Amino acid sequence: MPLKILVTVKRVEDPESKIKVKPDGTGIVTDGVNYKMNPFDEIGVEEALRLKEKHGGEVVVASIGGDKSITEIRSALAMGADRGVLLKHEGALDPLLVSALFQKLTEQEKPDLVLLGKQSIDDDQNQTGQILAERLAWAQATFASKKESLESEAEQKKQPGLVLSADGKKMQVVREVDGGVETLEVSLPAVVTVDLRLNKPRFASLPGIMKAKKKEVKEIATASLGVELQPKVVVKKLFEPPKRAGGAKVADVPELWKKLHEEAKVV
Amino acid sequence: MIDKSSASFVQSLCMGQVLEEMLVPFPTMKKGEQEMLEQVLASVNQLLAPRQKDFREWDLAGEMPKEFIEELKSFGLFGLIIPEEFGGMGFGSAAYSRVLQEIARHDGSVALTVGAHSSIGMRGLLLFGTPEQKKRWLPRLATGEMIAAFCLTEPGAGSDAAAVRTTAVRDGNDWVLNGDKLWITNGGIAQFYTVFAKTPVPGDGGKAQLTAFVVTSDMKGVSHGPHEDKMGIRASNTTTVLFEDVRLTADHVLGGVGKGFKNAMKILNSGRTGLGGGCVGGMKSLISLATKQAKERKQFGQPISSFGLVKQKIGDMVVDCYASESVVTVVAGLIDGGYEDYAVEAAISKVFATEALWRTADEALQVAGGNGYMREYPYERVVRDARINRLFEGTNDILRLFIALTGINQVAAQLKDVSQTMKGVLADPIKGFGVLSDYAKKTAAIRTGLVGDNRGFTKLHKALEPQAEEFEEEVREVAWAADRILRKHGKGIIGKQFATRRLADILIDMFVFACVLSRVSAALQEKGEEQAARELEIARVFARRVRHSVRGNLRRIDVNDDELVKSLADDAFEREAFGWDAR
Ligand SMILES: Cc1cc2nc3c(=O)[nH]c(=O)nc-3n(C[C@H](O)[C@H](O)[C@H](O)COP(=O)(O)OP(=O)(O)OC[C@H]3O[C@@H](n4cnc5c(N)ncnc54)[C@H](O)[C@@H]3O)c2cc1C
Repeated sequence: MPLKILVTVKRVEDPESKIKVKPDGTGIVTDGVNYKMNPFDEIGVEEALRLKEKHGGEVVVASIGGDKSITEIRSALAMGADRGVLLKHEGALDPLLVSALFQKLTEQEKPDLVLLGKQSIDDDQNQTGQILAERLAWAQATFASKKESLESEAEQKKQPGLVLSADGKKMQVVREVDGGVETLEVSLPAVVTVDLRLNKPRFASLPGIMKAKKKEVKEIATASLGVELQPKVVVKKLFEPPKRAGGAKVADVPELWKKLHEEAKVV
Repeated sequence: MIDKSSASFVQSLCMGQVLEEMLVPFPTMKKGEQEMLEQVLASVNQLLAPRQKDFREWDLAGEMPKEFIEELKSFGLFGLIIPEEFGGMGFGSAAYSRVLQEIARHDGSVALTVGAHSSIGMRGLLLFGTPEQKKRWLPRLATGEMIAAFCLTEPGAGSDAAAVRTTAVRDGNDWVLNGDKLWITNGGIAQFYTVFAKTPVPGDGGKAQLTAFVVTSDMKGVSHGPHEDKMGIRASNTTTVLFEDVRLTADHVLGGVGKGFKNAMKILNSGRTGLGGGCVGGMKSLISLATKQAKERKQFGQPISSFGLVKQKIGDMVVDCYASESVVTVVAGLIDGGYEDYAVEAAISKVFATEALWRTADEALQVAGGNGYMREYPYERVVRDARINRLFEGTNDILRLFIALTGINQVAAQLKDVSQTMKGVLADPIKGFGVLSDYAKKTAAIRTGLVGDNRGFTKLHKALEPQAEEFEEEVREVAWAADRILRKHGKGIIGKQFATRRLADILIDMFVFACVLSRVSAALQEKGEEQAARELEIARVFARRVRHSVRGNLRRIDVNDDELVKSLADDAFEREAFGWDAR
């Protein structure tokens, strides 16, 4: 049963760059910051590609953002996705809006499966997938993982962790929960968000990058989708965590007690 | 309009002329290429970043495993500069250089393996190959099914490439190739060799010229020696390559019979941005390492990063790296912009970047202290790896001679005109006077800076005015110096290596300075003075550095110890030893 999969990718600050907050707290200093695809989304793209390699179908990547976000779409295309859609948008968004926009796109594209990262590493909200499923009234499974380790043979063979039923109507998802994993079965179409231990994403080869150049990327202005583009959650102020004051060594327990009692006033 | 087939920034500089439009605005890549490049860089990092431990092991082992080379192939790193129609990426010099920079951040041996293939190994085919030759080999070179090597050096032919003794002799329509090549990068893993051999020129009394041939490893009579045990870039493959009665059909001649020497130089010049990019990558990774190290290491109760002498080293590294990247980018821009006579500028970029990397590696190790000397840390490996750059693809000494002697070509031609007309003056005073006064005017203009066009930069950002003025003043002095050195030594300049070197150092300083000015100006224009404040600081520091060194070199044109130093050397040669023991 071929699957049509919609997978989302977000352009985020590279965690390897040094992030500095602007003095006025309105955002971060972007000069000298590198950007890349949200690492959870890379795992989503990888899973989509593995599912396609096993079952056939089509992998469509979508991103919301400015012109630069096309770079992340191209990266996914270079990994092997078939075509891209950029929902062009400048300015602030929140998960309610992002999921509303993806809802519109999902209704247009009619995929069997929407794959998202469980969260993006810039704002760390972990809501978009859940809200999207709710809006679509589709089944959802979050934090997809797999039983085998990332060093296992199944991983070496690039087997998908999401298991499609023989009739192609259901999908088994192993999800990470506190202290273990849980297996769900969702009926398709469904929304699945992926966690870190689902797979090791491939990286694009140079020939892959060349092929990606010729793949289609459709641009859609978000204004045309009939969504009220006013975020309900806005970032008021950013600031860096207070610098940790240096620790001190104590000679023995009585001294520790004294310090906790008299200086820290916690006991 | 500038004539792109003959314009040379540095040659004009020696005439007191600044060809501003060759350098300003600072070159940038086309948007499409830039986007693709970003993806390639990201992928290269994903490929190489997890291999840090391997690189260290392969350095110790003196070899990289076959499987890794296969990985490089399927990743596509051998197709960087090969046109898309033949299955490559079609990168220009700038993008190519940038990719090598990224590779070199991770490992010098990998950068060299990839670089020797594209910078020199197969570049001859790209530059001079016939359409049939390209169709025949480029697709396989792009996938890495064939890795390429450049075979010029021989036991008796190092710097003196014309002394090659490998021969190719006509036999009917074929050629028969015999000879041994030494220290060939990729020699043992290549399938495609660009080989330079002496070919007798018909009817020229047995005088032989160089010709380049394509030789493939599957031909009868081709073999290679064992992998050399080297100081650095140990995992890069270096071997002898031997040719014994290798029979070549005529379609293996590359770039015309007898054109080998010129073509070898063209290949080396055109490939220089690869090596330059590699040096920049090395510097960037050293700066990351050394700054982290200096912040972590505490002595005298403080991180050593708080000490002035450590700051001085790091600050100098930053300036060196910025300047190197500027000159490499400009040279790449000239090549990609269709300029044809960039040999001197490319040589300058090689000399400057390789020496800047060497200084940076040496000082980074110093910052790391004893740890820097331990194999557990990467510094000592980078120092060993960096050393080769000043030796191969033309030693920096030979390149200095080339820079100076080619740089003053136009001045020499003018002076010749003048002396010709001096003769003419007697025969035809009126005509002679016209030409003579022309040159007199020009030299007067050069010296006083009062007349003439193109005496300096006019399009730089206004924040750089003081530096631009200094540059202009120095250009006048350089032109004066070129004129003076030539008048002093005439044709004998060829034998005056002390003087030539001095002029070369001046030209290197000046060209790199010009590139830095162009880049900083672009940054000021793009980001504004506030955001580009640091870059302006770099321009200031570099301007002062150049001023100091150019002044010193100018002074020493007339007052120097050249003869004393020479006689000391001659004395040591005579003794073959140091002559004194303190008692
Ligand atoms: C690791 C490695 C990889 C290499 N890879 C390749 C390769 O892929 N292909 C290839 O063809 N070659 C390669 N080479 C060879 C390299 O290009 C030569 O070593 C280099 O050109 C210098 O030649 P040489 O070693 O014979 O030194 P020499 O020419 O003997 O020079 C020795 C010294 O004398 C100086 N000198 C020589 N002539 C003059 C002069 N006229 N005036 C002033 N000073 C002079 C030089 O500057 C140098 O300091 C490689 C070498 C090494 C070490």
